[in-house]
Amino acid sequence: MADLLSGYRTLAGPDEMFAPDGTYRPAYVEFAERFRRWDAEEYRLRQAASDLEQLNGGVTFTVYQDQAGTERIFPFSLIPRIISAGEWSVIEAGLVQRVTALNQFLTDLYGDQRCIRDGVIPAELVESAPGFNARMRGFEPTLGVWAHIAGIDLIRDRDGIFRVLEDNLRTPSGVSYVLENRRTMLNVAPDLFPGGSVAPVDEYPDRLLDMLVAVRPAGVEAEETRAVILTPGSYNSAYFEHSFLARQMGIELVEGRDLLVHKQRVYLRATTGLERVHVIYRRVDDDFLDPLVFRADSTLGVAGLFDAYRAGNVTIVNAIGNGIVDDKVTCRFVPEAIRYYLGQEPIIPNVDTYVGALPSDLEFMLANLGDLVMKPSNASGGYGIVIGPQASAADLQAARERLRANPSGYIAQPLQEFSTIPSFDGERLEPRRADLRPFVVTGSSSWVLPGGLTRVASDSTSYIVNSSQGGGSKDTWVLRQPRGA
Amino acid sequence: MLSRVAENLYWLGRYLERAENVARMAEVNYNASVEQRAAGGDDSQLWTALVGALDAEEEYAEAVAATPDLSPGEWLIFSESNPNSLRSTVTLARSLARELREHISREVFEEINLLYLSATRAPHTAGMRPFTASVKRTVAAIVGLFDNTVLLNEGREWLRCGLFIERADMTSRIVDAKYFILLPSPADVGGTLDTYQWMGILRSASALEAFRKRYRGAITGGRVAELLMLDEDFPRSLRFCVSTLTRHFERATEATPRQQALPAARELALLDLDLGAADAEEVVEAGLHEFLGEFEARLARVHDAIKEGIFRAVPTAALAR
Repeated sequence: MADLLSGYRTLAGPDEMFAPDGTYRPAYVEFAERFRRWDAEEYRLRQAASDLEQLNGGVTFTVYQDQAGTERIFPFSLIPRIISAGEWSVIEAGLVQRVTALNQFLTDLYGDQRCIRDGVIPAELVESAPGFNARMRGFEPTLGVWAHIAGIDLIRDRDGIFRVLEDNLRTPSGVSYVLENRRTMLNVAPDLFPGGSVAPVDEYPDRLLDMLVAVRPAGVEAEETRAVILTPGSYNSAYFEHSFLARQMGIELVEGRDLLVHKQRVYLRATTGLERVHVIYRRVDDDFLDPLVFRADSTLGVAGLFDAYRAGNVTIVNAIGNGIVDDKVTCRFVPEAIRYYLGQEPIIPNVDTYVGALPSDLEFMLANLGDLVMKPSNASGGYGIVIGPQASAADLQAARERLRANPSGYIAQPLQEFSTIPSFDGERLEPRRADLRPFVVTGSSSWVLPGGLTRVASDSTSYIVNSSQGGGSKDTWVLRQPRGA
Repeated sequence: MLSRVAENLYWLGRYLERAENVARMAEVNYNASVEQRAAGGDDSQLWTALVGALDAEEEYAEAVAATPDLSPGEWLIFSESNPNSLRSTVTLARSLARELREHISREVFEEINLLYLSATRAPHTAGMRPFTASVKRTVAAIVGLFDNTVLLNEGREWLRCGLFIERADMTSRIVDAKYFILLPSPADVGGTLDTYQWMGILRSASALEAFRKRYRGAITGGRVAELLMLDEDFPRSLRFCVSTLTRHFERATEATPRQQALPAARELALLDLDLGAADAEEVVEAGLHEFLGEFEARLARVHDAIKEGIFRAVPTAALAR
């Protein structure tokens, strides 16, 4: 029987499973003992079972820039990312620290702006930012929470240190895949689980619902709180997730046309008449929420919703206006914000970031573009990225011109040789770069889902892990006890 | 319950029932056409009759103008351009099921999704029979799973309303198909060919065995009409469907403001009364085709009243409170 684990070659960055000397890292030892019983044929059978299960279950996402409504399964790899208990406790503390600071940052930016006066962030980067919503000035959300659900993208760098790549504080998606991946894994590969030592993930829907009730408007009783999920509709790429969460929490999944606002109160249209809604977990972007205030051509939102929100009669989760701190530009200033608001050193550092809007950074970017990864400041999904070391001279020149024409439209980061995890390519194990998106839920306090979504690049040359670019995902295991401790 | 969700569940019921009926009709037709061809006869009329019963002559003519060698069977079952083909109906049911994921169980969704996946995986090559057979089986499984795995709440009642209004409409069309199959001459009424055709109608409604249990004698138009239209106990008869629909509608609208439910309730009550008072021989005498046309029009009014009064109602009264 051919040993799948022999002959594996790592890339420039560290590997999560193998140490540089070829031995297993401690978190993977028990897994590897079990996995070694599989050969290539066994792997193929399990993979086929997993693909079929996801396809039959409709665990799919919709791809844009393709035929309308093409549904695909998210490629799923059966070798998990495994994080030791000790390492996870550091990540967990770092995430809670970061989200706490981000919420205070938002309250300040839309309030007194002490941070600008005290030099944490230049004023011109705030007021001119597309994510800054002047209508939110002076707003005080329930419990001071803006980023109720945060997805913080992490990578492990060349030195083995986890760093923040970006914060997602608007409508971060992917948590349904975390839950579905675990379910698939338990169904098709139960023999790989070390007995009883992987932290479960199925607590998430309960935590989410508790949070939605906790942030209800003042004067509403917990038992009578009506929370709903607002989706753009079944053609949205993340529709599966919206419906999944509604099902898991047992609350209504609504579209804009199901809601109406009357006298600054939000109601849903039911067969029995109108029913009051108190909390809206929206998966619709700010711009589309209310045609009276934002984009008038939007049919996804609800006329009058913003007014009801500002009147304090409905809580919107996540808050409107979070875009100001989760863009790639502001991200650069978050470590400083952590020191400023909490008086603590950041537990998880940022990836070094250069911001075109700062003259000194711009100069550096133009001079070193060939060594940097340039990204549009305000785009997601892995679109429009230029990877300096892989780009042709012509591509670099075009990128420089775009940068000069619109410096504030771009940021750059050094190319990260981030960590890889083995994936099976049909014949053998191959390294794939992977990031990690943990989810933090914040109501009266912050709770971190153990693990998160591990996304992997589509082949060993790629640095991009987004599903829209062909990337896949893995189950993420947080071990409960440190091994050998 | 959300009005949009109620409407979607109602339509899911309609599409599932429609798919099952079209599959059954096509299967019976297929068998009959094989028999006719084996006997050296012409089977084209059988398919044309089915197209006529489904009120789709014009659409079919247009499709043939574009693709001359398109057979009516192919068009009714597999065509993607025919919005009412079996394949399209299955696709519509599945996209509704996807929108309704949080209102149906995982098991129900998976069955519908599997049916859809099999329908899109080149069913042509396998032929019509395996596809229609799997549609019939799967729809039965879905309805059963729905009863056993989904909360018995208002949503289930709306799905049932959709199932029974569609079944009433389809049974009416099945009986009416006889009108489109011409007999060579008036003298053939009651003859072998006539009987054979009525037998086909019974098969299309899964009613042949029920007929044998109900009647000891020959298969005549009057008896078939009586069983399929007026029988209180046969689960596909018009009368059974209307009274069952009425019961589910009453349960679905228990908490709905009375004035919103009233128009549909009134239509249903009148329809139920008229079916209870009808006599099969008289109906056949006066013209079955006309009677069925009138019945279908009245069902359409029930549908409109449900849609306007409940699913799409503008809640002005509630706002005034």
